[in-house]
Amino acid sequence: METALPAALNALTLISILMLVGLGMAIIFGMMGVINLAHGEFMTLGAFTLSCIQTLGGSYWLGLALAPLVGLAFGFLIEGLVIRHLYSRPFETILATWGVSLIIQKLLEIIFGSAMQPVFNPFEGAVSILGVACPAYRLFLVAFTGLVIALCLLAFRRSQFGLDLRAVIQDRDMAAAMGINIKRTNSLAFAIGAALAALSGVLVAPLVTVYAWMGVTFLSKAFFVVIVGGTGTIAGVAAGSALIGFLETFFNYTIHSSLAQALVLILAVVIFRFRPQGLVRR
Amino acid sequence: MSLSRAAVLFRQSPLVRRDRAFLASAAGLFLLLLIYPFWGDSYGLSVMRDALIMSVFALSLDFMWGQTGLLSFGHSTFFGAGAYTMALLTLKAGVGSLTALLAAMAASAVVALLVGYFLIYAGVRREYFAIVTLALALIGQQIILSFADLTGGDAGLIDLPFLSFGINGAKFTFSGDKPLYFFALGLAAVVLLGLWLAVRGSYGKILRAIQSSEQRAQALGHNAAAHLLVAFTVSAMLAGLSGAVFTSVQGIVTPELIGPILATEVIVWVAVGGRGSLIGPMIGCFLVVRMRQEISSVSTTLWPLVLGAFFVLVVFAAPGGIMTLARWLGSLRILGGGRGKGAAR
Repeated sequence: METALPAALNALTLISILMLVGLGMAIIFGMMGVINLAHGEFMTLGAFTLSCIQTLGGSYWLGLALAPLVGLAFGFLIEGLVIRHLYSRPFETILATWGVSLIIQKLLEIIFGSAMQPVFNPFEGAVSILGVACPAYRLFLVAFTGLVIALCLLAFRRSQFGLDLRAVIQDRDMAAAMGINIKRTNSLAFAIGAALAALSGVLVAPLVTVYAWMGVTFLSKAFFVVIVGGTGTIAGVAAGSALIGFLETFFNYTIHSSLAQALVLILAVVIFRFRPQGLVRR
Repeated sequence: MSLSRAAVLFRQSPLVRRDRAFLASAAGLFLLLLIYPFWGDSYGLSVMRDALIMSVFALSLDFMWGQTGLLSFGHSTFFGAGAYTMALLTLKAGVGSLTALLAAMAASAVVALLVGYFLIYAGVRREYFAIVTLALALIGQQIILSFADLTGGDAGLIDLPFLSFGINGAKFTFSGDKPLYFFALGLAAVVLLGLWLAVRGSYGKILRAIQSSEQRAQALGHNAAAHLLVAFTVSAMLAGLSGAVFTSVQGIVTPELIGPILATEVIVWVAVGGRGSLIGPMIGCFLVVRMRQEISSVSTTLWPLVLGAFFVLVVFAAPGGIMTLARWLGSLRILGGGRGKGAAR
């Protein structure tokens, strides 16, 4: 219990973050067939927003509220400038979004410097659960993410926009024939994905070092989530995040952390070999 | 593979006009490079030497991407694997240059063989292949960074021994500007000619048939997955070779040699030069390395920004990939005929 509970909490933290990042990526991929290599940068932008606000004297909660809006704005911007023009050319999108990713990283580094950005944790204390001290912040993170995911699920299943999304994922042309504005749906979905990534950036910021390149490390993990879980379903993202998050935390406790990442990559590739469609079929 | 089968795959047919154009441009290029040391200064010579070694890396990617259409987005993994194998073996284990070079090539080939087997036989193609290989480079760099006591971490390893080869008891050590330059020149020439000879016959035709339609090639009786895996492994081996030579010529190995920036750069070299033309990516490499030199003299942080802008521009300015330019040049018969067809995928 002494180690099992904190380990489980660590795993849940990582799984939560991966779900938020992976959700946007999987929806975008499922809808438009676009793999957005700049997705990690939305996360970085979220973390930097928090850092800026806290440096200027604002609270964590203000950052938590504003960062998704920043993500949303950048999402609309990048969708309108780059992604929109490349829908039928998935391969070129990889090159273009990778270019965008490099540009954002470098601009952030030029503006803010390459040093680590300061971020303050809103809950310093620990909560005692079954006699084991658990960091309060991680508990908050997991609960808050759960709430956000539940809201997304609700919107995906029950709202008009969710219906449009599912229709476009299922059959793009048929959805267009039914009068769904594909362009607007795409652009809104992309921006919401970006906002979720920015939110995850704020949530993870107090736990990691915040610097211009931080998105890249999560990007590769988010790929595996999408690849392993399958695209276009929330259940797939959940399954993928759970597997990748659990594996990485588990390996982290037993072996060196970068070997753990390599092992996760290898396992993801092996899973890909035997289930090319992903764990959860659409 | 039996000898007779190899003879069929690599049989050399008489030269056609396109072949003559390639040979003429290659001869012209190498003649220029051969006389360059007589007027270039020491600095210019070392820049050109590094560009020549890097051009072998560009050739290795072009062999894979240009012929089979499969893009390895993390090709620096193999360059870096070769570089670190070479550095560790010569510096820490005191192994001779030739053995270390072969081991470096083998290390890169083994990584490619393992990763390639799972990916290629799983039907992972196009953008999916690009992404998983990119992840490979990201993780490769992290592994290098975290085993700092062995790899030197961020700072890397310095004071690698010079390349030296023993032949019949005599020992040749490559040091100094000119010997190293000519060594790099020879290496680039051999790899360029070797790859060109390999793909100008039916072997190249099979690879390009797989590129244009894997199912059709399969239906014609070619084992597409096996061909792709072999091409990937050979490509990785050459990347490893260039990484190993680069690092021992520089005398230093750093984590940049395995990271995503170099992986991005090599794609730019190939794209600029024209995918599939072999000599084009080589020239692309010279041009871009020169450009990086110019930009770095203004500011060292600017380069990734330019690289990123370049990627976006390539996609938008030349909708069919940068091939449009290569085809145009090819129609002028400068690059030996724009072989690449269709969009850059």
